[in-house]
Amino acid sequence: MESQKLLLVDDETAITDNLAPFLRRSGFEVEVAADGEEALDQIASFRPDVVILDVMMPRMDGREVLRRLRGEGNWTPIILLTQVGEATERAMALEEGADDYLNKPFDPHELVARIRAVLRRMRPGERPLATAVRLTCAELQLDRQRRRAWIGESELTLTPKAFTLLEYLFTHPDEVLTRERLLDAVWGWDYPAGTRAVDTRIAELRRALDDEPREPHFIETVPGVGYRFVGVVEGD
Amino acid sequence: MSRVKLLGFVIKVLLPIGLGIAGWIILERVYEENLFLHSWIEISTIPWVLGLLYSLGVIGSHCIRSWLKDRDEKLKTQIQVGMVEERRRFLRRLDHEMKNPLMAIRAGLANLAESPKQEARNDALDSVSVQVLRLSNLISDLRKLADLETRPLECIPVDVAVLLEETLAAAQDLPHASQRQITLTVPQAPWPLPHISGDWDLLFLAIYNLLDNAVKFTESGDTIEVRAFEDGAYVVIEVAETGVGIPQEDVPHVWEELYRGECVRAVPGSGLGLALVRAIVERHSGQASVRSRAGQGTVFSIRLPVGDVTGLQHKVSKL
Repeated sequence: MESQKLLLVDDETAITDNLAPFLRRSGFEVEVAADGEEALDQIASFRPDVVILDVMMPRMDGREVLRRLRGEGNWTPIILLTQVGEATERAMALEEGADDYLNKPFDPHELVARIRAVLRRMRPGERPLATAVRLTCAELQLDRQRRRAWIGESELTLTPKAFTLLEYLFTHPDEVLTRERLLDAVWGWDYPAGTRAVDTRIAELRRALDDEPREPHFIETVPGVGYRFVGVVEGD
Repeated sequence: MSRVKLLGFVIKVLLPIGLGIAGWIILERVYEENLFLHSWIEISTIPWVLGLLYSLGVIGSHCIRSWLKDRDEKLKTQIQVGMVEERRRFLRRLDHEMKNPLMAIRAGLANLAESPKQEARNDALDSVSVQVLRLSNLISDLRKLADLETRPLECIPVDVAVLLEETLAAAQDLPHASQRQITLTVPQAPWPLPHISGDWDLLFLAIYNLLDNAVKFTESGDTIEVRAFEDGAYVVIEVAETGVGIPQEDVPHVWEELYRGECVRAVPGSGLGLALVRAIVERHSGQASVRSRAGQGTVFSIRLPVGDVTGLQHKVSKL
């Protein structure tokens, strides 16, 4: 099988010099770009299967690259490298169509796991779920822009965190998501005993969705690990 | 001339002259009718006395004003000096916290590059990884603290009793928690505690950090009391313990970032737990305080305003 092509974009050579060989050893064909403009050129010529994109860069930042790509209908999967605790950056990452994001500093093995998951989720030629404004799964509907959800005709009352959690589950279907990862995705950072907060929020969602944990239509518990969204999700 | 200046001119110059003339006329009338005054005072001295009194008044008010201004400025400089001093202490601590892991990493890398034995290289690699993780955690904790000051709060009505029960249940999993006598007292009579408005997860984190501290700085058999009560428009939550206590000179500094008392250097921790507590409490318009006696124990209290959801949300939207 031909190895998959990956574009790594970061202005910090200390990072690309160390991360690129690691990713090559993990089986990817890797090219490196040092800023946003170079990234857009490389995406056009190299045609990567996935892009790892730093947010803070000179000349053109990762945010602008993401916006331009999605604006011209380019759905190449993108994983953003963000800063821990930057709530606005995280919200932006999800809203503007990043497929996933990782907080710096991260474990490089985790990055490889995320890349594989994103590539698995990808359906060639189709718009990825991460960029869809409306998501549906059976009778459950999510409007990501207006931050509202419905089951059939009736609207769900959800706290903002519960909605973000549901959105993250929706955009990562059939993936085992650890409590720590959900905590990081929704709260922006982990904290001691914070995994309990995830459980509380999942319970809130299950009540709202009327989802039976033993025979789940939507959220399945993966014992000792976390959760998985089991429904089939469609986006438009 | 602006209206304010005109008003000032009228009050300071025209009004006293007018009042002076009016006063003189009235006094003259009274003087004519009252023979007693004739024997006591000469009419021509009255304007002089009035003028003197007015001057004294003007000089006095000027002195008071400049004294108040001086005091304000002194207070401002004091606060500024305090902030500069706190920042200097923070940088010193940051330097200290980073120096050791960095030194360990440099030594580890030297071993890695030069040691002929694979085993020694593996040890060095492990040690470098641990130190890198330590630095990562330090940086991410500092980011959390910065994030806390700006992130929007998700305020809901919080039942403090339930919050405390859940936090206590989570804290039971802390190392050595089972060897402490932990109790919870929340009033039910004559009425239960009023709800407060707050971000459940953040309040949970604040109380969890206080409990974590309490377990860390107590020994087997020590008592930890968690209690809550109503105090006017506030709900007060206290975490009290019979632990080692904090030396008097350390008490004012415990809320500072990266602060670690001399006697507790051996106890593991980031030095950011209480700074997080303070930040969370302040975001909720509350106050955090501490009382301690070395050798006897410590009580941390947090005061949180009773549920005014709209007020808090208003504050959030302003931020």
